Amino acid sequence: MDWDQLELHPRIISAVRRCALSVRAVLCVSAPDLQRLSGLSRSDTQQLLTAAATACRRHAPLPALLSRGFQSSLRLSVGCPILDELLRGGLPAEGVTELSGESGAGKTQLALQVCLSVQYPTQYGGLDAGAVFISTEDSFPVRRLQQLIRGQSCLRSDVPPSLISSLNFSDRVYIEHAADLASLQECVSRRVPLLLARGLVRLVVVDSVAALFRSDFLASDWLERNRQLLTFSAALHHLSREYSTPVLCINQVTDVFSSSDSLVPSSSTGTPTVAPALGLAWANQVMVRLMMWRLQGTVSRGDQSSAPRRLQVVFAPHLARGGRGAGVWREGVRGLTETA
Amino acid sequence: MQISSCSLSPAVKSRLTAAGFHFLSELRGLSPSHICAETGVSQQEALQVLQAVRGGASGGGASVGGASGGGGASVGPPPSLTALQLLQEEQSQRSIFSFCSQLDATLGGGLPVGKTTEICGAPGTGKTQLCLQLVVDVQVPVCFGGLGGQVVVVDTEGSFLLQRVQDIAGAVVKHCSLLVEDDEQRVAMTTFSVETILSNIFLVRCHDYVELLAELHLLPDFLSEHPRVRLLVIDSVAFPFRLHFDELSQRTRLLNGLAQQLIAMATSHNVAVVITNQMTTRLRGGQSQLVPALGESWGHAPTIRLLLQWAGTQRLATIFKSPGHPGATVQYQITSDGFRDADQSEQPPSKRPRTHTVQSATGQRDSNQSSAGQRDSNQSAAGQRDSNQSAAGQRDSNQSAAGQRDSNQSAAGQRDSNQSAAGQRECS
Repeated sequence: MDWDQLELHPRIISAVRRCALSVRAVLCVSAPDLQRLSGLSRSDTQQLLTAAATACRRHAPLPALLSRGFQSSLRLSVGCPILDELLRGGLPAEGVTELSGESGAGKTQLALQVCLSVQYPTQYGGLDAGAVFISTEDSFPVRRLQQLIRGQSCLRSDVPPSLISSLNFSDRVYIEHAADLASLQECVSRRVPLLLARGLVRLVVVDSVAALFRSDFLASDWLERNRQLLTFSAALHHLSREYSTPVLCINQVTDVFSSSDSLVPSSSTGTPTVAPALGLAWANQVMVRLMMWRLQGTVSRGDQSSAPRRLQVVFAPHLARGGRGAGVWREGVRGLTETA
Repeated sequence: MQISSCSLSPAVKSRLTAAGFHFLSELRGLSPSHICAETGVSQQEALQVLQAVRGGASGGGASVGGASGGGGASVGPPPSLTALQLLQEEQSQRSIFSFCSQLDATLGGGLPVGKTTEICGAPGTGKTQLCLQLVVDVQVPVCFGGLGGQVVVVDTEGSFLLQRVQDIAGAVVKHCSLLVEDDEQRVAMTTFSVETILSNIFLVRCHDYVELLAELHLLPDFLSEHPRVRLLVIDSVAFPFRLHFDELSQRTRLLNGLAQQLIAMATSHNVAVVITNQMTTRLRGGQSQLVPALGESWGHAPTIRLLLQWAGTQRLATIFKSPGHPGATVQYQITSDGFRDADQSEQPPSKRPRTHTVQSATGQRDSNQSSAGQRDSNQSAAGQRDSNQSAAGQRDSNQSAAGQRDSNQSAAGQRDSNQSAAGQRECS
């Protein structure tokens, strides 16, 4: 943004040029300071500030009925009607969703499934684009992905088989490996925006955020860790907003020692008390927080059996706290009907 | 106004004081060339000085407001009022109720208009939910005890989801339609719908702190054009200000300016300003505490601070800063309809829980007061429960709402009698 684009008297523009301030920087200087720096009169300074403020804002306050907010009711289906019902349609098209749980709870399973469901056209709950999967922990489970792709016709009985066979699922899942923080930042600030800008993908999955931030820092470095974490989350928010793309972050959990923790409601179900990792700094950055648990026992479906899981909404601005049972099958994650 | 406290460059100030001028009023009526000759400043600086003299004459308050970023600079200085006039003004002002009668009772009828309120809490405690509830509640027609106002929502987190607003609006519309008693209310209900509620919410999305500052600079003009706006919500202030700041002094300065702007808007445009804040962990003496974010000096900005938190499976709202109300803790719940009273079966805890805020001197006294206040609210809650037991289902909430209005009236009545007492004293 340049000063010449603003509707201001040339005299004011030349004065502000002389103090070498950008349009955005002017707003961070108080009016008397600005007056002194530029040598302008008070009314000129006011004009200058108003013009700069007008240039910086995208639009005047709009009635909610007309705003872009109505588009943001777009949801990305997770590929199972029961879980979609819990999530009121799926993941919000704008915003960072976190899915945390112990190892083996089925987080990655659900994430892989969303990578496939995003490729369907919008009338089937997808976003008609591919997904980028940023893996920081393990090698990408490519065999499991192939298995899930073969199972799509079984999982998505609502979609015509001809459409499923016409989609080339594995070509539209882009996999990035980030082994350290620097390459993770590089990935979200350079490579992923490129994919998004070309319209190739419209889902970002990070599996997992915790791994690098938990391993790369000593306990005494928490300040630096928080700074890096905020930079990373700022990048994710930027991607999500700019390209109106859902971001799904998988997170690990940590044990909670103190019982009188006011952060999370203590679980009444008797499950061990665990909380998502990375603490408050990260939690403040998340819009929707989901958790997954692996429960005792087995559930069966046809000839398959699975350990029962539970997908729980911890918080979200638009969702009620609640949960659904689920099982992980050959074709993917499916919610269990509540009668069981 | 003293020269040393006005907004001139230090060089000019020192020249003026050296020449024997100490007050701006002493310069009034002088010509620029005269000032130049007397003090040795340049012609342009002399013009600036005279501008300051004129600004100072038109009202010291305005130039002080200008120093904080120009929020209230365009508005003239408010005429001075006596405390009695202020009291009357405050009483004529309705508050925004929250649909949680216990919270409203502790706040003396709801969230005050013309003041700034901060809602703090960890993620998932219901900050956004309370905001959304207020956004809908402020629009309840006047004949139902609401304000019939409009709302400006500044969303910095992207968490203002219209799906949820529709839920809450639907519940409020239904609630009001069940309350209809006379023709006026019937007429009001014809226009009070989810669509009108949505069309009266002005939404701005700010992506970083510069956009937020820009928006706040322009909001006074917007509020002048839309005089029906009674509520400004910023959800949240913390989110943009916790990123990209290497230098904390710059952040503190900007936040102080922002606080001044919000206060100026609240008073001059008569809107309730509601801001949300995140929580952060502070290490002190080897112990970690949960405190509101944005630092110590920001704590002075809002008039009222509300803390939302979990205690076991209960949700608790604590007032921990308010000049007009004793500190208190109430229980609430968030249902599919929005922010509501907690189920009556669970008693609120008898003790105020640790809020981890620094209130060393007043802490003890507060807690005494709060327990007294709480006992009262328990009693009223008990009364309500009785009435609920006699009625059933949907009618419950009607009655309790009616009861609430009554209690408001009685409170107003009481205040009236106070007023007459004050009046008498004046006469004598």
